[in-house]
Amino acid sequence: MNDLLYPENILFTLAFVIQLSSISFLSIRDQRRALFSSQIVLLIGLALGLFSTLLSALFTSAEISSKTLLYNFISLDGLGTYFLFIIQLVAIPTTIYNFSYLQHYIEQNRTIKSFVTFYIVLLISTQFVVIANQAILFLVSWEVMSLSAYLGMILEKEKEEVQHGSFYYFAASHVLIFVLYVFFFLLHNQTGSWFFSDYHLSFTSGIVVPIIFILSFVGFGIKAGFIPFHFWLPQAHPIAPTVLSAFLSGVIIKMGIYGILRTYHFIKPVPEWCGWLVLVISIISAVFGVWYALSQHDIKRLLAYHSIENIGIIGIGIGIGFIGSANNLPAVQALGFGGALLHTLNHAIFKSLLFIGSGVVYQNLGTRNIELMGGLVHRAKYIALLFMIGSIAISGLPPFNGFISEFIIFTGFFKIADELKNYYPILMLMFVVGLAFVGGLAVACFTKVNSIMFLGSERKEVKRFHTSVYDYLSLTIFTLMCIVIGFYPQPFIGIVNQVIATGFVGKDSSSVLVNIDWLYFTLIFTSIAFGVFVFYLIRLKLEKKYGKRTSSAWGCGYENLNPRMQYTASSFADELNSIPQSLLQYHKEVKVSENAYPIPSKFESHSQDFVDSKIVLPGFNLFRRVISKIQFLSQTDIRYYIGYILIIIIIYSMIAFLWA
Amino acid sequence: MGIEFLQGIISVIIILGIAPLFAGFVNKQKAKLTGRVGAPVLQPYYELQKLFKKETINSLTSSFVSRVSPLINLVALIIAAAILPIGFWKPLISFNGDIILFAYILGFARFFQILAAMDIGSSFEGMGAAREATFALFAEPIFFFTIGSIAFISGMSSIYEIYHSIQLNNLSYIVFIVICSISMFLLAVTECSRMPVDDPNTHLELTMIHEVMILDNSGIDLFVYQYSGYIKLFLYTLLEISFFYPFSNQGYFLGIAIFVVGLIILSFSLAVAETITSRFRMKNIPLYLLFATAIGILNLLIYTFTK
Repeated sequence: MNDLLYPENILFTLAFVIQLSSISFLSIRDQRRALFSSQIVLLIGLALGLFSTLLSALFTSAEISSKTLLYNFISLDGLGTYFLFIIQLVAIPTTIYNFSYLQHYIEQNRTIKSFVTFYIVLLISTQFVVIANQAILFLVSWEVMSLSAYLGMILEKEKEEVQHGSFYYFAASHVLIFVLYVFFFLLHNQTGSWFFSDYHLSFTSGIVVPIIFILSFVGFGIKAGFIPFHFWLPQAHPIAPTVLSAFLSGVIIKMGIYGILRTYHFIKPVPEWCGWLVLVISIISAVFGVWYALSQHDIKRLLAYHSIENIGIIGIGIGIGFIGSANNLPAVQALGFGGALLHTLNHAIFKSLLFIGSGVVYQNLGTRNIELMGGLVHRAKYIALLFMIGSIAISGLPPFNGFISEFIIFTGFFKIADELKNYYPILMLMFVVGLAFVGGLAVACFTKVNSIMFLGSERKEVKRFHTSVYDYLSLTIFTLMCIVIGFYPQPFIGIVNQVIATGFVGKDSSSVLVNIDWLYFTLIFTSIAFGVFVFYLIRLKLEKKYGKRTSSAWGCGYENLNPRMQYTASSFADELNSIPQSLLQYHKEVKVSENAYPIPSKFESHSQDFVDSKIVLPGFNLFRRVISKIQFLSQTDIRYYIGYILIIIIIYSMIAFLWA
Repeated sequence: MGIEFLQGIISVIIILGIAPLFAGFVNKQKAKLTGRVGAPVLQPYYELQKLFKKETINSLTSSFVSRVSPLINLVALIIAAAILPIGFWKPLISFNGDIILFAYILGFARFFQILAAMDIGSSFEGMGAAREATFALFAEPIFFFTIGSIAFISGMSSIYEIYHSIQLNNLSYIVFIVICSISMFLLAVTECSRMPVDDPNTHLELTMIHEVMILDNSGIDLFVYQYSGYIKLFLYTLLEISFFYPFSNQGYFLGIAIFVVGLIILSFSLAVAETITSRFRMKNIPLYLLFATAIGILNLLIYTFTK
């Protein structure tokens, strides 16, 4: 215990103590005060944590050695510290948004104290997941993280959709934890230790290590949301309170990525089929994630599908890294893992930004259906602008951060093609085209979201659009991060490079990331900003000289255009959704007048998740039918169960006896 | 730096300067082919000059998006112009991976073009925007199957070096390059909203893609959009001309000659293509683009197997 009290660790320990102590402030009776004081204390704790993380070796000195604390139970190595940094960085603005978001619930006289408790527990347990160096501690923090997220999710538990969606999450995390049990039991069985630092396995020794790899990919993949394990994401995200959706999508699903990368540390180097497996699943996740997103009308569900897309992009990076690892190419590994790690940070930033932006809109309009929104730019110009920057970033377009990480991943493909020649260039080109296609779909999707939500005129009348200073503060912090990483990526590349150098490849061979001409990007992006600014000034001058006015849009001579005549989200996306109709389960219902006299006509379009409606639900129904056959075993009398236990013990001891 | 920097600046200025001229040239030839006298070659300049002095009218529902997106469009295209080489000159921006920057900076321009169209709040622009988003998506793979495949085969990732890697010493590679350039031409037609994908001359809103997006723009907005349109056409022409690179390595004047001759040939082929084809039905455009993609894939496969 005393190593926690070493001078350099005091700050680290103090941060956790302060975060934990923030729960106690909830005992204040007045909800508003309780919320305020506990969140302030939590913010102090998080800021202190972030400060101590930034002071750690990863961010300051060139030489880093993994530090262990608390009898080896806690370890601060490159990967863990990096994820700790992401968690704390995202948690701070998200917590700031809490002030404004929970006010609405307080106004409705709803108790939010339990939610805040679960939120704080969630933050702390998530931080413990990434610093745990021992399997049991890892599993406990993992389970606390999953359960506290679930308990926070059911804030509005009287709503049926909340019960439905949260159950998906609950079931998925339950299945997952069992997979992880088996995963760690196998690791323990192979090494005889519960400590991560003792896990060094090699693929050459039999069938167990491939099984361990598959288990980790399934288990952590459920959390991360790779297709086909993604089905819980679009169900759970829309119903969760916005703060939680932001944190869930920004950070919690990244724990799956953390798990996969951590497993890689145990079993590296991996053979090449692992790389191909991850690449193929990731590209499928990316393409279909964004395609499903395009067909959604519920903004939060749409964003949830976008998380699947981005997890796919991160997965592509990991796949490149795996291929590099199989062929012993440090440069490819650095680009692949580096791209994945940077995209993890970037996605955490812009996805939280978008979720919080959509939460602000939801608070004011009371609906998540984008077909009922529109024209909000005239109500909240600044929020529209910030949301737009987030959208450009998530579409992977310059000049924001999404482009930087996608660029590294693209460069990784080029590097593989260059180093491995043979048939690799062609295969890599296919993935490049896939990734470019994903970028195109993301542009289609986010132009749809932005234009339907914010532009045009109001489809549903908005009485009052209220925004608080906390909304602006948290959104601005996220946007600034997007801009900084986009315009000046060097320091962040440096951090990622440190992680790569310490845990993935050797120090000398990881410089490929730093050697990309980042200065070019800074110059180009700055000149874009400068150019637009100069042109804008010229424009103002010309308008002054030659005049400007506003007038109604061209309607073929028809004067009474109303907001419902605008292009809708469904019509915007219809053409693209009609292409993979059966995969997207995209249905259209049209009811129009067939005779001369008009009747009220109707058009609806729906999209269902293929995996959910064709695999998960039928699978569970089948399971239920099988189970109902043996339901007679379930009795109310406890004596039956004692009998069952006896029978099991007899069978077990007989097996053990025969085995010996 | 030094002389290369100067050359880069000059090529950007050349692109920005003669882009409208090229469009005028295409239109003139098209008119000649259809038996009309046609507007003067310098007509695009006159039009731009006229638009420059017009009053700017924005839609009632428009916001800051409408005001900045023409400018963003123009700046993005200028940056894209700085990535493309003219002849043997090294472009202003040239680094490993600039092919991705080129594709994505055009995507950035498109993002704002679509938003600006939706900002007007009329279904006409919405229709154009939806079409633009859809067709652009299918156009994206073609770009990577043409230039991207040359890049992956040569191991280069900078557009200047990619074109420089083309060597005409092997028959199957020559065939590969020629088919790539055909596929690239099909892409250029789509991206620059020319026939048979889009008709820049019609005035029926329902049948247009690019034109309908800027239907409600006027004055300085329209000026910038038109000018960006000309630049875009010229950029794709340059991408096409650059396939003749291996010839221009020989000398200074040969390079200029190839640049000029290439422009003439391409303007002629565009004019011919626009004269002999009629516009496709909207439904068939994805098929057209998939056809171009299929050419790219097949070409690549055939090249790989005959190598």
